[in-house]
Amino acid sequence: MSDVHYFFPPASAYALNRFLFALKSDAAARARYAKDAEGMMREYRLDDVTRTALATFDRDRLVGLGAHPYLVFMAQVRLSMEREPGNFEYF
Amino acid sequence: MPLVAAAALPHTPQLLVRPPTEDRALVLRVHGALGEVKRRLTAARPDVIALIAGDHIEGFFLNAVPALAVYVGARAAGEFGRYRYAFDVHELLARALVEQGIEAGFDLTYSQDVPLDYAFYVPLHFAMPAPAVPIVPLYVNVYLPPQPAPARCYAWGRALRAILDARPERVALIASGGLSHFPGTDRYGSPDFDFDRALLASLAEGRGADTARLTGEELDKAGNVELRTWITLLGALGGARAEVLAYEPSWHHGNAVVAWPV
Repeated sequence: MSDVHYFFPPASAYALNRFLFALKSDAAARARYAKDAEGMMREYRLDDVTRTALATFDRDRLVGLGAHPYLVFMAQVRLSMEREPGNFEYF
Repeated sequence: MPLVAAAALPHTPQLLVRPPTEDRALVLRVHGALGEVKRRLTAARPDVIALIAGDHIEGFFLNAVPALAVYVGARAAGEFGRYRYAFDVHELLARALVEQGIEAGFDLTYSQDVPLDYAFYVPLHFAMPAPAVPIVPLYVNVYLPPQPAPARCYAWGRALRAILDARPERVALIASGGLSHFPGTDRYGSPDFDFDRALLASLAEGRGADTARLTGEELDKAGNVELRTWITLLGALGGARAEVLAYEPSWHHGNAVVAWPV
């Protein structure tokens, strides 16, 4: 995709990055995703290839599609904090 | 009035909410160093903390990407897991920084309504002096290319210092970020700790100005895109010699806690 780790986000990936941003930053969006991932992905107008990559949260494929690496990373962290709250120690 | 304190602190969220992947003893050692900063800040009695941090695509998304920004709302609030934060903003100082920064030739963005990023509240969670003081969030774009050049960050830091020195408030100037880490990339498990150690040795000798000559590409390669916040601080500090209170490299992150005499 690029020779730098954090590359210019291609406009073609805007819908995907907007979706990841919602998962990362919005608790209501995460709740929605847990209940109705397919419906939410359609609402964000994600194409078939993108929806398939999201189904397994395949980082390399998502980044290859233009996802910002940090958004992929932190969306996963926030989802796992809610799925497995007992794994996290709050200071 | 001259600065009353200066420091650079880590903000990795695993310090706040620890997953089982993180070495608990290391996390506690970093907490200890942040506690020392809290003690020093409390003794310095600042009126306000001006906190320079990068946004992790939390306050600003791709609808607008400011290179350098100042938060000028009444309160700055954010959330992470079970934590909810809301800090008073020192509006007078924030507004002076925007107005005088623009006057000095820096085309700053300002906002009165963006969610606060964890790069701001993680360091404050551990190092906010007692009693708590208002903050001024100062943004440097670190994750959305093209980011501001290191030389520009350094120049903004120098301009910040000139503005702050002429203000009546007792200001603690703090940078949040780094050191080496590569979140979301295939380099996540292999940060560039050699870069970090060489940098810290150089800062201890007072050679902060050297960082203005780094390139954006060098920062990206070293997992140090966030060093731009430090470089901004270094612009404000000139040749002051850093005191490294802690350097704790974890399996994915070089946690550094550094203070400067002012």
